[in-house]
Amino acid sequence: MSTSPEKPSSRRSLLTWFSGAALAGSAAISAIANFVFMKPRATYGQPSRYLIGRPDDYPTGTRISVDARRICVVREGQKLAVISTICTHLGCTVGISDTGFACPCHGSRYDQDGNVTGGPAPKSLAWYRVQLAPNGELEVDTNAQVNQGTYYNL
Amino acid sequence: MSTAAPPPTEPAAAARKTGGFLPGVLGLPKTIWDSVFRHSLPDSDLGAAQTSFSNFFLHIHPVKVHKNTLRPMYTLGLGVMSFVTFVVLTVTGILLMFYYVPSTTQAYDRMLDLRGSVAFGTVLRNLHRWSAHAMVAIVALHMARVFLTGSYKRPREFNWIVGCVLFLLTLFASFTGYLLPWDQLAFWAITVGTAIAGYAPLIGAKIQFLLLGDQAVGQEALLRFYVLHVVVLPAIITLMVAIHFWRIRKDGGLSRSPEADAVSPAGNLKVQLVNEAGAGKPTFGLMGFVRGPFTKVGNVPDNAVYSWPNLLVAELFVFVITIAALLVVSLLFNAPLEEPVNALHPPNPAKAPWYFLGLQELVSYSAFWGGVGVPGIEVLLLMLVPYIDRKVSGVGKWFARERFLANTLFLTFAFLNVVFIIIGTFFRGPNWALVSPF
Ligand code: HEM
Ligand code: FES
Repeated sequence: MSTSPEKPSSRRSLLTWFSGAALAGSAAISAIANFVFMKPRATYGQPSRYLIGRPDDYPTGTRISVDARRICVVREGQKLAVISTICTHLGCTVGISDTGFACPCHGSRYDQDGNVTGGPAPKSLAWYRVQLAPNGELEVDTNAQVNQGTYYNL
Repeated sequence: MSTAAPPPTEPAAAARKTGGFLPGVLGLPKTIWDSVFRHSLPDSDLGAAQTSFSNFFLHIHPVKVHKNTLRPMYTLGLGVMSFVTFVVLTVTGILLMFYYVPSTTQAYDRMLDLRGSVAFGTVLRNLHRWSAHAMVAIVALHMARVFLTGSYKRPREFNWIVGCVLFLLTLFASFTGYLLPWDQLAFWAITVGTAIAGYAPLIGAKIQFLLLGDQAVGQEALLRFYVLHVVVLPAIITLMVAIHFWRIRKDGGLSRSPEADAVSPAGNLKVQLVNEAGAGKPTFGLMGFVRGPFTKVGNVPDNAVYSWPNLLVAELFVFVITIAALLVVSLLFNAPLEEPVNALHPPNPAKAPWYFLGLQELVSYSAFWGGVGVPGIEVLLLMLVPYIDRKVSGVGKWFARERFLANTLFLTFAFLNVVFIIIGTFFRGPNWALVSPF
């Protein structure tokens, strides 16, 4: 069989191409696998849903900061809401101030409803869904954000 | 088989030469010594060359270096100084690892133990902490010297990039180490720092989650930062430093102005096989084949000196001075340790380490621009500098006239960074309000 000089060389270059692509592909897949490995499937932190006690623990007209949960429970009459105290700037815990909330890290300030009134925070504080659990305790779900001003009626 | 004499072993051969068994045994230490160190301390140029050539640790140096390389006022020894701090950090870091536990319940107590019950624990921790601060500063200064002498230009563009990567790695290594004491300072600096990463477009939140291994700074983050800090980053830095040094030699040694070479005999730039010592063996033969702007032994006979002992003494000098300075500081000042972590109450104000305070100051105006935009643009500009500024004039001189524009731009950037760092460090009080330090 007489082959032209190009034939074997083009077949060879095709093979080179394939093995090169296979090698690069395997390398890419290994690299991605590393990222998948690094991303935890289960986290060990706090659950997103938890109980925070009975409504009576939060007398009407109070704003009580639950530090361990990084939330503030607001009660006005029979209406109740839970506002996050995680600063939307860079995640410090804001404190309750006369006019609302103030962050110690870079000086963001928020009003009573969590609207930004000063500082670098880009958006207002989150409001979380809260409702009565069957056992009569309040249950907060930090995965479920609600619109500002959404109160739960006891 | 039985009639064949066993092949003489080395000591046996030595014994025969020096005549007899006893002298052979007595000569054993020297025989072994000579098998390790092929050359005695050099007393001639040939010896100096052979010593550098045949020793693993010395071989990283060229046999000869240009005199300009040895001018203290040219490099200020900053590159070697960066390396020395890295070595100190590696050694003290490994020692600290024997007592440290990356656990949220134990880490802080281990810090107290280092202070209270581990021999040399305090000074070890001080050394590690102060060397980390020093390394950031020295690497930044080294970068400034390279820039201001125009040393990033052809053929050193790639080594400048390697350098930029080293600078970023240095910062990242400091950042990951910052969390490990698990005190208030650590916790909130990392909370803020990783939140900044979250502002990166598209992948920000993913990066943050990957770094922390959780939604907030906690045990997972501590473990991840620990592994990055003690294994991953030092390994990458070591590799990059090796490439950095290798490139310096392949790029023809350190940069120098064309005048520095002026004395070399004209037309001597072609490749030669040179044997300076004239001892009949082509000692430098292979060196003659390297191409381009490489250091070619014998090409610049008037301006090059032997690395042994000139370069080595210079390096030893920088080494000793750096270690002495670090020791003095570590004996005088204790590394800070604040209250243990209280995830509920950030200190007020919560400040990052000083080299990030410029960024934190910017972040207090805009999280995106301070944390991602401005630093991103700065890094990109820095990396691209050798490809933007391609004129080859003005290399090898501090503040060369020809480089007035480039140097002014660089110094302006550097100055602004320093100003923001100073504001962040001294002029910011509780709630990040402006205060006067006086
Ligand atoms: C871990 C950090 C670093 C170490 C250990 C290191 C080490 C060194 C050493 C020992 C030298 C020899 C000359 C001298 O002492 O100045 C050098 C030269 C050089 N470095 Fe670095 N360096 C580091 C980071 C950087 C950075 C951040 C840059 C710039 C972005 C850089 C760019 C260069 C360049 C371009 C040269 C060649 C300079 C010339 O030819 O004059 N290096 N480095
Ligand atoms: S984290 Fe609250 S202002 Fe920056």
